[in-house]
Amino acid sequence: MPQSENYVAPGQHRYLRACMVCSIVMTYQRFREQGCPNCEEFLSLQGSPEQIEACTSQVYEGLITLTNPSKSWVARWQRLNNYIPGVYAMKVSGTLPDDVRTAVEDETGNKYIPRDGTEEEDPGRE
Amino acid sequence: MSAHDQFHDSDEEEEEFNPPPATASDDEGAGQSLEQRRRPRPEDEEDDEEDHEQEQADHDDDEDEEEDEDDEDDVHGGSRPRKRRKAAGNAFIDLEAEVDDEDEAEDDEADGEEIRDFIDHSHPDDVAETERMHDDRHHRELDRRMQLEAGVDAEEQAELYKIRYGRKHRKRGLGDGNVMPRRLLLPSVDDPSIWAVKCKEGKEREVIFSIMKRVEESQGTNREVSITSAFERGGPDSVMKGLIYVEAQRLNDIILALDGMLNVYVHGKNHMVDIKEMPDLLRIQKTEPLQPGAWVRLRRPPKHNGDLAQVIDVTENGLEARVRFIPRIDYGGTSNNTTNSMFGKRKRPAFGHGPRPPQRFFNETDAKKHDPRGIVRQGNSWLYRGDEFENGFQVKDIKIQLLQTQHVEPSLEEVTKFANNGEDGNENLDLGALAASLKEGSHSILYVPGDTVEVYDGEQKGVVGKATHVTGDIVTLQVTEGGLQGQSIEVPTRWLRKKFNVGDHVKVVGGSRFRDEAGMVVKISEDRVTILSDQNSKEITVFSKDLREASDSGGQSSLGQYSLLDLVQVDSTTVGCVVKVDRESLGVLDQNADVRTMQVSQIANRLPKRKLAVAADRNGSEIRLEDVVKEHGGQQRQGKIIHIHRSFVYLHSNDNKENAGVFVVRANNVATVAAKGGRITGQSASSGPDLNAMNPAVQRLNHPKQMAPPKIIGRDKSIGQTVHVKKGGYKGLLGVVKDATDTHVRLELHSKNKIITVPKDTVIFKDKITGERIDITRRGPPQRSGGLAPPSVDRSWQGGRTPSGSRDSGRTPGWGSATPSYGGSGGRTPAWSRGGDGGRTPAWQDGSRTVNPYADGSRTAYGGGGGRTPAWSSGGGKTPAGDFGSGSKTPAYGGGDSWNSGSKTPAYGASAPTPGASGGPDWGAPTPGALNAPTPGAYSAPTPAAVNAPTPGAWQSSSWGGGGDSAPTPAAGAPTPAAGGMYYGAPTPAPYTAETPAASGPRYDD
Repeated sequence: MPQSENYVAPGQHRYLRACMVCSIVMTYQRFREQGCPNCEEFLSLQGSPEQIEACTSQVYEGLITLTNPSKSWVARWQRLNNYIPGVYAMKVSGTLPDDVRTAVEDETGNKYIPRDGTEEEDPGRE
Repeated sequence: MSAHDQFHDSDEEEEEFNPPPATASDDEGAGQSLEQRRRPRPEDEEDDEEDHEQEQADHDDDEDEEEDEDDEDDVHGGSRPRKRRKAAGNAFIDLEAEVDDEDEAEDDEADGEEIRDFIDHSHPDDVAETERMHDDRHHRELDRRMQLEAGVDAEEQAELYKIRYGRKHRKRGLGDGNVMPRRLLLPSVDDPSIWAVKCKEGKEREVIFSIMKRVEESQGTNREVSITSAFERGGPDSVMKGLIYVEAQRLNDIILALDGMLNVYVHGKNHMVDIKEMPDLLRIQKTEPLQPGAWVRLRRPPKHNGDLAQVIDVTENGLEARVRFIPRIDYGGTSNNTTNSMFGKRKRPAFGHGPRPPQRFFNETDAKKHDPRGIVRQGNSWLYRGDEFENGFQVKDIKIQLLQTQHVEPSLEEVTKFANNGEDGNENLDLGALAASLKEGSHSILYVPGDTVEVYDGEQKGVVGKATHVTGDIVTLQVTEGGLQGQSIEVPTRWLRKKFNVGDHVKVVGGSRFRDEAGMVVKISEDRVTILSDQNSKEITVFSKDLREASDSGGQSSLGQYSLLDLVQVDSTTVGCVVKVDRESLGVLDQNADVRTMQVSQIANRLPKRKLAVAADRNGSEIRLEDVVKEHGGQQRQGKIIHIHRSFVYLHSNDNKENAGVFVVRANNVATVAAKGGRITGQSASSGPDLNAMNPAVQRLNHPKQMAPPKIIGRDKSIGQTVHVKKGGYKGLLGVVKDATDTHVRLELHSKNKIITVPKDTVIFKDKITGERIDITRRGPPQRSGGLAPPSVDRSWQGGRTPSGSRDSGRTPGWGSATPSYGGSGGRTPAWSRGGDGGRTPAWQDGSRTVNPYADGSRTAYGGGGGRTPAWSSGGGKTPAGDFGSGSKTPAYGGGDSWNSGSKTPAYGASAPTPGASGGPDWGAPTPGALNAPTPGAYSAPTPAAVNAPTPGAWQSSSWGGGGDSAPTPAAGAPTPAAGGMYYGAPTPAPYTAETPAASGPRYDD
């Protein structure tokens, strides 16, 4: 039986952080040990507490359990459809440091879209 | 490889059915993605060759796999259930193993080929063959490249791959979602649906993780959970708390997935979210980032929960803020903080229970005094017990989730504390920042229809109008200026502010400390308005949102329990009247006419208004509340009495602007101008009896009349009387009084067997026998007989009556009292009645039978001998006089006088039976005469005694009628001699006669 690695016991919830790029929610410890499963290439969180502090946030809202990112509309809407299954946040407060941001944009070739609600566009208006 | 990765990979593979060739191409391929995913894994550590081979193998492997899958797809057709996916996973693992083998084999083959090629190539004979040549070149190139690569170490290799493939992969990874605008991502009918499932409030996040757990644990089992996602949007303020949303193809999947899970009520009513509403579920709103200078409230540390703090700085990522706030230090207390931090949670005192120290700026002197070792200076700031202090403020880095940034609504009071502590002592209040903080709380701004508002943001910026309608936070305005004039537009309140013009008279209505202050607008800058207060002519600056146009000249009229014009206890010996109410203090005019400004806490209490307080003015007249009095001498101020406290009188005058028109004078320094309700004051009363009446000494000496005869003795005289109703529904009916109170009688009607209750003044008492009307009301009017029956007279009179007096000396006071009570102004009426009803009957009997009618005290004396007899006699006298209107009194009076003066004779004669006898034509027999005569006499004479008098009359008459009673006889007889003799001399008549004047004199006079 596969072990549940994304599960976090309620007592550990206070250590949860959300990645500001992909919005995945994990414990600080896991960020440190494994890095961000989606963004590690350009965030290099693994083993770097400073980087974790800078690129992940304790302030987030709305948790999403994503089990099937490719099928889920929620994932698509949240632009998570190419990420691994896991727990994500709907909104992550905080601002990515400028250099990281540049790196992210370089790496992805796309403009970084903050997850703090700034991007929120009203579909009805367009 | 974790379950996910498998899962994920297989997924991706499913998606990408047309993978590009494994070689470096610009196309995005599943293989690359795979490779990318694997890159960070330990393969990197393997030596170059292997690594490279592995990568290559992977590519091939992927290709194969894809093909395999394609095959599989072909085989299985459209049906690709979970089973298949599992199979794919297994196949993958198998394949991996196989592929590895194959790979090696391939590699070997390749090597072999290369070698062969090389060998082939090394044959110079074959150079001619162009095709072969080409082939060679290709192989050589490859070879060179491989050698080159072999020379690079693993890290560089990794870097290389990253450059070569990574970017493209990521482009794909984040790309397609990112470039796509959200509107193209809207859900369609093919997407899974979302159901709302109830869960325990506050447990939303736990549930989400539980779902994750269950999903992961079910991977690879035959009970795999097939929901696609689940999310929550809980939070204490959220409308979506107590709900989680689960996305799945079918509801049944959800029920299976959540069945038996803690805190989720999946078997309840699950509501499917409409497709149109799905995006709304995921809508998030940006929280404004904190700006330095903004105001927040602290949640932690607990000691400071709710305290206002100002943001000094915010960390780059906006997650932590440096704030300053006013510390709450208990210098004297043990250094709890340090021990606590050492022992952690266990010893942390529970704040919220005990009182917390008040907010006070940090004082290093105090700190040094109490804990010299705990304080360290650090440049500009102090470190004390682990906390940092700067300029008196405590400075702390606090995570923003521990700060309340919304609805802070700092009051100006709180804010000024921060401002006042500027180093130079100047106010460095940043109203701009404050305004920004307050703007958030704009929900509290109240617009009411009629407010003039200005739109300062949004599309209609600059528009000015009058609010006509307010619904929630949308205000409808009627535009009053500009191009849109006359139109009606709707604007959210957050874009609005109230607009005022210089010169407007406004009142502060908002939560500032200037609340209720009113004044004139003198300056407007943005939304800050400076007004000149009406109350103290000071300039104050408030936000326009806190203002409202006002017509009244404002000022609050109460502070705490004290309001304007209240009488308060200033100290044990001083009282004062509140003449001014400020925001924090009261102006109190004390009894010495000094105005003090006092805090509420300095005032002991409020004295209740004593409505019955009485004082005497300089003339001795009584003065009460609300009387208008005038100061004697001095400024001759005149005012209405609002308070009387001992000898001090607080007056209020509208002519006087000072101290809210209130001034204080001594009671004995005012003269009554007008008493409330036209009460007759000593000045206007001729004899000024009021004061005397109040003075026991005087009373004892001169007017022993205070001792009024006991009030209720015996039954109401009207009981048993025949009366005629003159008003109301029963008008005209005749009845007998069965019961009576002071104001009402209960009548048993003659006509109807019914008992009714009617006011006493709507009945006319009638003689039972003659049916003659007895004007009861006439007896009542207060008679001013006091004047005519001066005490001395009475006395002398009594003296004259010596025999009777001697008879029972104990009675004398009774007598005395009775008499003055007649004479007295107030006591008369009741006295009468008392004498009447109580006294009379027995008196009669007494008088007649016992010869000592006065035996039982004043009452007897009063009613008995006195009252009746004269009544009788006078009645007799009066009868001839005919109508007993007011005139009846006159003779009675005369009688009284005559008694005194001795010239009663005529009076007596007049009232005496003699005329009665003579006058009464039917008087042949005393009995009838008595009957006729006295009755009216008795009735008509003493109006106040109305009730009393008649009764005896009635009684008498009835008894007379009965002819039985001996009493009347002597009575009748008495007057006769009296009349005849007109002498005092004879004791017999004397008592009667004596009483007569006493009773009748006062009774009728006036």
